[in-house]
Order: sequence, then C-alpha cells, then structure tokens
Amino acid sequence: MSLLRVDELRVDVDDKTILNGLSLAVDAGEVHAVMGPNGSGKSTFANVLAGRPGYDVTGGTIAMDGADITELAPEERSHRGLFLAFQYPVEIPGVSNMEFLKAAVDAQARIRGEDEPSAPEFIGRARDAASRLDLDVDFLKRGVNDGFSGGEKKRNEILQMLLLEPRLAVLDETDSGLDIDALQVVAAGINAFRDEGNAVVLVTHYQRLLNYVVPDRVHVLTGGRIVRSGDRSLALELEEKGYGWLDA
Amino acid sequence: MAGSTPDEAAVARRLLQTGPNDYAPWFDRNACTAVIADQGLPAIRSEAWKYTNVGRWYETVLEATRPVHRETVVESPEEVDVRDFSDTRAADLFGPQATFDLTRYPLAAVNGLLLGAGLAIRVPAGCQASQTVRISHLPSAYQHCLVSVEAGAAVELVEEPSPYTHRIVEAVVHEGAVLRHRRRQAGASTRECSLVAVNVATGGRYELSQLSLGADLRRNDILVTLAGDGAETALQSAWRVDGRAHLDNQVAVEHTLPGGTSRQTYRGVAAGRARAVLNGRIHIAPGAQHSDATLSTKNLLADATAEVYAKPELTIFANDVKCSHGATVGAMDEDAVHYFRSRGIDEDRARGLFVRGFLREAIDDLAVAETLGVVV
Ligand SMILES: Nc1ncnc2c1ncn2[C@@H]1O[C@H](COP(=O)(O)OP(=O)(O)OP(=O)(O)O)[C@@H](O)[C@H]1O
Ligand SMILES: [Mg+2]
Repeated sequence: MSLLRVDELRVDVDDKTILNGLSLAVDAGEVHAVMGPNGSGKSTFANVLAGRPGYDVTGGTIAMDGADITELAPEERSHRGLFLAFQYPVEIPGVSNMEFLKAAVDAQARIRGEDEPSAPEFIGRARDAASRLDLDVDFLKRGVNDGFSGGEKKRNEILQMLLLEPRLAVLDETDSGLDIDALQVVAAGINAFRDEGNAVVLVTHYQRLLNYVVPDRVHVLTGGRIVRSGDRSLALELEEKGYGWLDA
Repeated sequence: MAGSTPDEAAVARRLLQTGPNDYAPWFDRNACTAVIADQGLPAIRSEAWKYTNVGRWYETVLEATRPVHRETVVESPEEVDVRDFSDTRAADLFGPQATFDLTRYPLAAVNGLLLGAGLAIRVPAGCQASQTVRISHLPSAYQHCLVSVEAGAAVELVEEPSPYTHRIVEAVVHEGAVLRHRRRQAGASTRECSLVAVNVATGGRYELSQLSLGADLRRNDILVTLAGDGAETALQSAWRVDGRAHLDNQVAVEHTLPGGTSRQTYRGVAAGRARAVLNGRIHIAPGAQHSDATLSTKNLLADATAEVYAKPELTIFANDVKCSHGATVGAMDEDAVHYFRSRGIDEDRARGLFVRGFLREAIDDLAVAETLGVVV
C-alpha cells in the first residue's frame, strides 16, 4: 500500500480547471521530485494535498495509507502525518515562533496520546533543530516568519518539519531563494529526516537540489497532470532541454 | 430603543431634586450641580454619544439597586499613602489645577453628585516602579480615585474588573514621575462609564495598558494632557467583544506644551453582533512645537454582523510637529489560520492563537492569554 496515492485528481480554482486528472503514488522510504513550468499547478497540487480552503476538488481521490483524506480538515491531515512546507510561508507578527511551534508539537502529542513535552524539553528540541539549520535561536523568539528573509522562511519550514516528524513531507520550492550554503544545510536536514518509514515529495525547478537529495522518481507536471515520470536522469534531461520537447 | 429609555432631562431633574449625598462633605459638588443645571446632561444621539445609547446608562443611574461590592479592597505598598475620601485630609491631594473640565465630561458631574467611594492615593518621591497599587473593589457604584505621583516617583496602578456605574480615575504625574496604569475590564452584563484624566508634567510619563472584554454597555473616556516639556504618554488598548457587547472608547491626547511625545496603539476584535468604537483624538495646541504624536488602530471583524468604528481625529495648531496615524478594519487572516491548522492546530485554537497575537501588538501581557483562555 502506498503511503500517498493520488488518483485522477481534478481541481478547479475560481471555475478554472488547474489539475486535470493528476495521479501519483509514493511509497514509504521514497523521495519523489515534481517539476514543471511556472503556473502548471504544482503549488495547487501541494495546497490541495494539505487541504487548503479555496480549491474545488471536482474529481479523484487522495489517500494516505489507503485511507481517503480528500475531505479531511487541514489539521486532520497533519495528524495523519502530512506536512507541507509552503512556497510562500505566511508572516504572523504577534505570535512568536516558539509559541506557534509549541502549540503544533502539543497538538501532535495529544493526537498520539503522549504527554505534551515540558517547556524546557521543548525548548531544547527547538534549539537543537534551529542549530542544525544554522538558524540563530533568536528566530524562535521572533514573530512567525515576521520580517524573515526568503531563505530564513524556508529554513523555518524545515525546522517545523524536523520538530513534527511527519510521515509525508511535501516541500514546495523549499530550495528557491536559498544561497549555496543554505541549500546544503537544508538538503542535509531533509536527508537526516528521510528514513524507511517516511516519504518526501520535492517540488522544485532546479536539478541542483536533486544533487544533494537524490530522488527515486522524477515527475513532470504540465497542463494539470503528470505527463512523464522517470528516474533522476529525467531531471538532468529537463535541465538541458526545458519543457518544450515534452509537448511533442 | 431610545424611546424606552429615560431622557436626559428626567435624569437631570431627579439628580438636582435629590441633591448630593452626605459622603465626604468637603468634596465640592457645586460645580457638578452647576454643570447639570446649566448645560444639562448629554442627549441621546448627541455628537459625543453618537455610537452609544446613553439612555441605557441613564436607566442604570435611575435604578434603585445596583450590584456593588460592599467593601474597599485595595492593596498598596507601605510607602504609598491611601486615604478614603471620608478622611478630610484626602482633600489636600487635589491640586490647584483640575485634570479635566466638567463641562466637557458631564457624566463626571453625575458621578460627583452620587459619589459614594473615593480614594486619594499619594505616591511620594522615591517610590519605585516595582510597587503596585491594586484596586479590586470599591463600595459604591460611583467612584473616584485620585492619584498623585510626586516628582521622580514611579508606581503601577492596577484596576481589576469590578462593577461600577461610573468611575473617575484622575492622576497627576509630576516632574520626572512615571505612572503605569493597567486596566482590566470585564463583566458581560454591566453598563459602565468611566473617565480617566491624567496630567503629565515636564519629563513625566504616563503609560496605559487597557484590556476590555465585553460589557452590555461600556464607555471609556480618556483624556491625557501633556502639560510639560518632554512629557510622554503611551496608551495601549486592546479589546475583544462578542455577543451583543458594546464598547465605546473616546480618547483624547492633548499636547499643550512643546516637546511632548504620545503613542497610541489600539487593537480590537469584534465578533457576533458586538459593536466597538475607537475615537482617538490628537490635539496639538498652538505653541506646542516639536510634539511627536502617533496613533495606530487595527480592528478585526470576526463576523460580518459585528460593527467597528475606528476614527483618528487630528487638531493641530503648531507647525513644527511630527504626527502620524493609521486605521484599518479587516477580517481575520485566513492564510495565517490555515498555516496553523496545517501544523495540526485545530481551528478554534488556531483562531485563538491568531487573535491573541493580534491583541498582543497593543498589550504584551500574559493576562491576554489567561483572559482569552488560550493555552500557552
Ligand atoms: N487562488 C487562485 N486564484 C486564481 N488563480 C489561481 C489561484 N491559485 C492558483 N491559480 C492559478 O492556477 C495556476 C497554477 O498555479 P500554481 O501556483 O499551482 O502554479 P505552480 O506550478 O506552483 O507555479 P510556480 O512554479 O510559479 O510556483 C496558475 O495559473 C495560477 O494563476
Ligand atoms: Mg508554485
């Protein structure tokens, strides 16, 4: 049974069809890359996986571990182990990053029937994750993404992934806007996270990330569906030729 | 409906017939009587009472029984001198200059005639900022607190939620003194009006941190006069009202002498069929050069049925001043709510976290968390 199985997914936004029969299966232990031109529907796909309001699913199903999650609330998907690193993480001044992360970790502990971590224990974990991502601990005290640079926001997403330990991490262009050092730090974070029990879907425009996080499968999304899948050599081919040749 | 509430003339007649009570006879009620006799009380729908039906408050004034605490509950440090108005020496604290003009705040004249609980609080020089005077309960529906923070002294004044019909808090912040004033207002069924009037002298500082939760009717008049060179004030107020709650904040900051600084920050959330009003006035008198004044008010409409009126008002009569203001009314940031939910935080908690963060821009205070019931 696949960890994630998407069948013939159709999605409209404002009466415009964006996803048009998208199918994808990801097994535990795998990393899949999803590539495709701007506006092809990659973020739409990622957002629909996470249950963001505003998208009209007109057909198809999304299943995790064989259970249909197409209609679930965003928090319920999270409770089942789904995590989306947003392409554009939202800024929420007033709520500290620490307070937000603790609320998220506590919610997860409650769902798992575990005790909420004590404040010192949690702070220790958060500091540890921050230092692994080369994020100054001051970021934990600041408002959620408030005034963070583009790269800092992306690292903050990975920080949340490390703390929440999801089963399926969907990373929407987490590599965009990262400098070379930050890319390696983030890639190391993703690699440390990978194991036999979880899976990663990387949405990316660049082959570069895939040098560090080696994918098992690469998919091309255009016109609202996966039009081609292959191994990592497909990413190299795309880098060389662009997307135009796929239309033929 | 206005028709079912008593009109101002009936209330004024009744007050003038009855005359002042016999509490603290030294307290001068002549001015109160004169104001009510000469100008009368505010009419329903008059300009100053455009958003609040003052008739509903008059109703409370005419009611024979009101829920009132029976005794004075006030905590204060030893070096602070607290006297009930029944002690004639309390009179010594009233300086030559009034902190407000009764003709402008006629409800204060009603308070004067019905006054039943008064406290004169003297904070002597040398008192430190870590000291707190906490007012929990006063034994009358009509209350008057007078605070004098003497030169160089610092103190925190806390008003805990407690029912009243009208409360006056008057303060004189002398040279180089600091008054930190924290107000907590709650009580869903009460109809309460209050007046805070503060004079800040040269180099003095007055800080207000006010959190208001719903009330059947709540009106806060606040007047801060920066009456000295380099006087400062920071007014921070947050509210969250729902159901049919009604909150009307009328704030005026008056820069009367040069070099004053004022910062006004308001954050409000209105839900259900609640109504919230913030009228924030910055007045810079002729000659009050180098005044520096800002006002920011942001409001969240949690439901389309709630009403918010947020209005900054500027009257500036000096040319060399800095002044800025901004007012927004908007809905909750659904992207932020989704972001929280996508991390496993359920919807109610996500909205609570967001609201708390929003209010915190005005008052950074654990009390917000406690009051709103959001778990840290
Ligand atoms: N809320 C929305 N309202 C209207 N159109 C939308 C909305 N969200 C997405 N779209 C449209 O759907 C299409 C797909 O957008 P999407 O963000 O999924 O693309 P993408 O593949 O992630 O692109 P990029 O590589 O630039 O991030 C675009 O044409 C976009 O304008
Ligand atoms: Mg995108």
